[in-house]
Amino acid sequence: MVNKVTRKKHYRPPGQKKEGNAARYVTRSQAVKQLQVSLPVFRKLCIFKGVFPREPKKKVKGNHHTYYHLKDVAFLHHEPLLEKFRDIRAYEKKISKADAKKNKERANFLKEHRPTYVLDRIIRERYPKFIDALRDLDDCLSMVHLFAALPAQERLKVEAKRIHNCRRLSHEWQAFISRTHKLRKVFISVKGIYYQAEVEGQKITWLTPHSLHQALTDDVDLTVILNFMEFYETLLAFVNFHVYHSINLKYPPILDPHLEALAADLYALSRYFDANTRSSLLDSQTSSSSGYGQVDAEENSELRLAQLQQQLSLNEPTALMHLVEDAAAKNEDEDEDEDTRECKKLFKNMKFFLSREVPRESLLFVIPAFGGMVSWEGDGAPFTESDKTITHQIVDRPTQTHKFLTREYVQPQWVFDCVNTRLILPTEDYLVGRVPPPHLSPFVDNEAEGYVPDYAETLNRLKAAAKSEVLPLPGVGKEDLDDPQKLLAEGIIDRAEAIEAAEKKQKMMALEKQYHDELKLELQGVQYSSATSNVDKQSSNQENEGGEDADLPDPEQIAEDNANLPLVVMSRNKKKLYEAMQIGKRRKKGEIDLLKERKRKHKESQKSQ
Amino acid sequence: MKLNLDAESSPQATRPKKKHGRKNSHLKPSKSHAEKQNSDELHLEQEAPTADEAPLQQHLDSASLSDSKEDVSDEFKDLKLSKARESGSADEQDHVNTGSPDNLDQENEDDNPIRDQVDEESDSSEDEVAPRNTIGDVPLEWYRDEKHIGYDISGKKILKKEREDKLQSFLASADDSKSWRKLYDEYNDEVIELSKEEVKQLRRLLKGKAPHADFDPYAPYVDWFKWDDAKHPLSNAPEPKRRFIRSKWEAKKVVQLVRAIRNGHIKFDKPKEEQRFYHLWGDDSSSTEKTAHLSYIPAPKPKFPGHDESYNPSLEYIPTQEEINSYQLMYDEDRPKFIPRRFTSMRSVPAYDNALKDAFERCLDLYLCPRVRKKRINIDPESLKPKLPSRKDLRPYPTTCYLEFRGHKDAVMSISTEANGQWIASGSLDGTVRIWEVETGRCLKVWELGEAVKYVAWNPLPELPILAAAVGVDVLLLNTGFGDGEVQAKVKELLHIDALPATDNSDKTPIATWLQDDKVEGIRLRHFKTVSSVEWHRKGDYLSTVMPAGESRGVVIHQLSRKLTQKIPFKLHGLPVSSIFHPTRSIFFVSTKKNVRVYDLLKQKLMKKLETGLREVSSIAVHPAGDNVIVGSREGKVCWFDMDLSSQPYKILSCHPKDVTNVAFHRSYPLFASCSDDCTAYVFHGMVYSDLTQNPLIRPLEILRGHKATNGRGVMDCKFHPRQPWLFTAGADSVIKLYCH
Repeated sequence: MVNKVTRKKHYRPPGQKKEGNAARYVTRSQAVKQLQVSLPVFRKLCIFKGVFPREPKKKVKGNHHTYYHLKDVAFLHHEPLLEKFRDIRAYEKKISKADAKKNKERANFLKEHRPTYVLDRIIRERYPKFIDALRDLDDCLSMVHLFAALPAQERLKVEAKRIHNCRRLSHEWQAFISRTHKLRKVFISVKGIYYQAEVEGQKITWLTPHSLHQALTDDVDLTVILNFMEFYETLLAFVNFHVYHSINLKYPPILDPHLEALAADLYALSRYFDANTRSSLLDSQTSSSSGYGQVDAEENSELRLAQLQQQLSLNEPTALMHLVEDAAAKNEDEDEDEDTRECKKLFKNMKFFLSREVPRESLLFVIPAFGGMVSWEGDGAPFTESDKTITHQIVDRPTQTHKFLTREYVQPQWVFDCVNTRLILPTEDYLVGRVPPPHLSPFVDNEAEGYVPDYAETLNRLKAAAKSEVLPLPGVGKEDLDDPQKLLAEGIIDRAEAIEAAEKKQKMMALEKQYHDELKLELQGVQYSSATSNVDKQSSNQENEGGEDADLPDPEQIAEDNANLPLVVMSRNKKKLYEAMQIGKRRKKGEIDLLKERKRKHKESQKSQ
Repeated sequence: MKLNLDAESSPQATRPKKKHGRKNSHLKPSKSHAEKQNSDELHLEQEAPTADEAPLQQHLDSASLSDSKEDVSDEFKDLKLSKARESGSADEQDHVNTGSPDNLDQENEDDNPIRDQVDEESDSSEDEVAPRNTIGDVPLEWYRDEKHIGYDISGKKILKKEREDKLQSFLASADDSKSWRKLYDEYNDEVIELSKEEVKQLRRLLKGKAPHADFDPYAPYVDWFKWDDAKHPLSNAPEPKRRFIRSKWEAKKVVQLVRAIRNGHIKFDKPKEEQRFYHLWGDDSSSTEKTAHLSYIPAPKPKFPGHDESYNPSLEYIPTQEEINSYQLMYDEDRPKFIPRRFTSMRSVPAYDNALKDAFERCLDLYLCPRVRKKRINIDPESLKPKLPSRKDLRPYPTTCYLEFRGHKDAVMSISTEANGQWIASGSLDGTVRIWEVETGRCLKVWELGEAVKYVAWNPLPELPILAAAVGVDVLLLNTGFGDGEVQAKVKELLHIDALPATDNSDKTPIATWLQDDKVEGIRLRHFKTVSSVEWHRKGDYLSTVMPAGESRGVVIHQLSRKLTQKIPFKLHGLPVSSIFHPTRSIFFVSTKKNVRVYDLLKQKLMKKLETGLREVSSIAVHPAGDNVIVGSREGKVCWFDMDLSSQPYKILSCHPKDVTNVAFHRSYPLFASCSDDCTAYVFHGMVYSDLTQNPLIRPLEILRGHKATNGRGVMDCKFHPRQPWLFTAGADSVIKLYCH
């Protein structure tokens, strides 16, 4: 006997286990229920543990739910932090109870002894290797830099302590990048300044806001951001610790309070670097065999720092810095790659001075990263404006009244463009009071995009020229295949030439084609008329002419036909895919056409003026 | 007392008056018990002469009045009477409350100073005054039929008073202006009149105020005890000793704590520990353990900024004002999120407003968005196109227009090639059938038939140069006049009808009648419905005609030699569209709008049903080997059926955007063609292999253009040359074209 029961779509007989997606995925509310936590705690846990919803193939509960994998939920369930959060909740209840009973003493005591938790284990779990942490560092850096520019507001739980911590962390990171010359690209956008560094082969890109105070807006849920910040701060601190130790520096660094007060943290950090590398060189054996306790070492270093400070203030700081750098460079050179070496040399033997109005923090970071020396207007600066050895002064004002003839006055964009092209660009376009040439994004592959802005071409040409000029000088014998720069340069030249040649060729082709077409037209016209004359003599000449146009095989039409013919026998799915791809191509082409159209209009308007 | 005396002095006193007096008497006893006795006695004396029937009762009456009234009022309250009576009950209730007021006392004060004194004494004992009637709280109806209403305090019966009838009482009340303040006390069997003061008090109570006008509810509070200048404490006991010595247990506890502090078990205010950072990753070699849980999908990195996000982009990246305005008309999701702006110097770049919002959205993406690994197809779209054999290898096929046949005045509906390929015939909507020489394009012969020609078909036998043309309801069999005398004689004999065949007796209109047409020297086959197509059998003796409106008789087969007509012995499912004979075997294809049915004519049964899956079939053609069929449809698709393979299409080619009007196979070359209303004809290579395991090879070869659209129609018909790889197309623009290789 067969029972014919009408089954529901997802019917499961009682007592039978769930299978498939229904057993593997739960909705968020189910997960929260299962973990017996509140939603904010669940969110916090997800953020800390890096658990994200997943997309089941079949959404059993409906399309509008978010689904978590049961294994992920179990992963959260076994997290010791979960218990910690429960404890904290109980503790908060104690506080509120004491408050309610007006037991101020107890309430204060409890408030001061709140339980805390640490995230290091979670970081280790999420990023088993340092390189994993580096891979995920983009968002972390952007957020920390953003918070460093936010105003502290206790009301919104944006504490001043946190902001200061963010500032400190971001400066430490920048100091490391700058010191080890790992910065590769810089881009000033409307949203802020993008930096790209290459650490251990990982390209890390982050965004810093323009050095103005950001406004706290109402339309964001700060609790979410603060949860992320909690994690990111810890992560960045550990990363900083790691990278500082990789260059034999103590972490956290002890900074000159004087400089710190002047908000020249970056410079203070760089001084710290210099001092420590030097000292480590001087008494390497003592530091290596240091058997002191923690406190002693700290005191020692502080003492040493103070002494160094004295020396530095007495001596000419630049000389010392050079000395230190040279010494450090010797042992660093071996493990540096080609790129770093190139970056390091870019602003070598150049001295920059920043005027008041230029974005100091950014330039203090960028210029030393590419081997330049920099000073600014204000206290604690390594050298003053009147220093004769300054080669470039960076100004961002309409006019400069007093000018030293020994230096060039350029706009800040010059520095960034130089960095992106890895070339000391001619300064004519960037002089004071001029409208600088367009600032181009170094993240765009112009050729893949299909549109090359004018200034990118100029830069390419400059690059090519520089290579061809510079390279023959070291000696012809050295021009080997193993020099990748040379190859690159040649490639660029070739490319430029090839483009020109291709253009010429295209023009020729077009002319030729036109000629052929005309010929063809003539031929067919003759043939056609002769044929028709045989057939129907009565038909008028005019009609012939009319017929001629329609009858002529249009070459474009033929080409299109040939392209479309295989479509007829393609399967439906493939045809759809093909058409979708064509749509994407067309859109891209449309964008490029729009750019070209605008460019043409601009040129026309300029000509008319 | 005086009042009482006055009232009762006249024996003819009216009832109300009497009541009034009694009421007063009631008030008096309410003041004091002692005085009550007094007054009652007096009352008794006074009333004795008038109320002779029940002097005792009256006496009792006044004695128990006040209490009984209370009871009554309670009862009234419970009953919740109508409004009129409610006011009454309220009155009574208030009356009870007015037990103590001084107003009444004052009223009586001047009467009797002695009683006044007594009054004051007994003021508090007013509640204990026994009611006149002592029956207690029992339903009054128990006494309804009795002569008495109850008992007085001494246990004597209180007799009922005599009743006034209703009319009388009504009249009395109507006369009496004070009747509104009178009410009847059922318990004590008497009528009470309320005084003015009592009414006032009631009114105040109704308003929710205190009954006495003098009463101040908000009088200032006066404390009952003065604390200020108390010299002595409440208790004069000395302080106990225990206040001055410390507790033993507390001392022990303190010692315990002190020891704990000394020994370091208790620590005060540990300095808050800053989080310490250490070499978390140590040396990476140790951290090779694999995480047990699910694979981690890294979040996609944010998009890198392009040239347009620069603070100083090239001019061409900045949209014009019109373009920015046009963004407003776009849908939200299409609208660009970021509009490039240009600043000529770095100092003029403002803070970015959405920085925090962008960061927040990124955070949301990181923890709320489901992550899936997706395969991105990064292929050249050209690689999707199938590898087709080179067209060069598949030559010859028609490519270019070589000749045009002009002469028709209207759309050419149909063309047909002669078996040898020397001539073609064409039928047009202008009512003519023309015969053209293929080589030269010369028009050889014209028949004016007067009606639109739908279809023309040459007899497939070269020795029978007969042309069939479908004209309205007729099919004309025309003698083309080709061939030598012998052939002509044979043709003429075939096209001659000796005599009219005997008319059938059946009532039905015949499907077709054979008529001799002298004008065109042929046979006129008159059908009962419009004929849409004519197809010859390969032997040239039979021809089938299709009448789409003919329903069950829509497809008929005629035999030329015997001048016979028969309908096919099969049921048609749906409207017939076209029919065709198998090129080698006696098999007959009939296509309806949806399907193609294949019949075996010898066995007279259905062989196969080809399910096209198309919306509307328009044409059909059979491969010369007979195993493959192509079907054209009105939705622009061409289906290739391999009949050995399946009844489903082997391949569907959707090549035309408009209706496919006709499809055709070449007789010897592996070519087939389709023509459509979009003014194109496609030529395909369709190779059928004798090896059954190999599927037919289909490859589009050429798109032939040249016809012009007229009235929305394009190419109406296409036919291959029987020998050469040439294609004839007939257009709605009244031109026939010949495409050669």
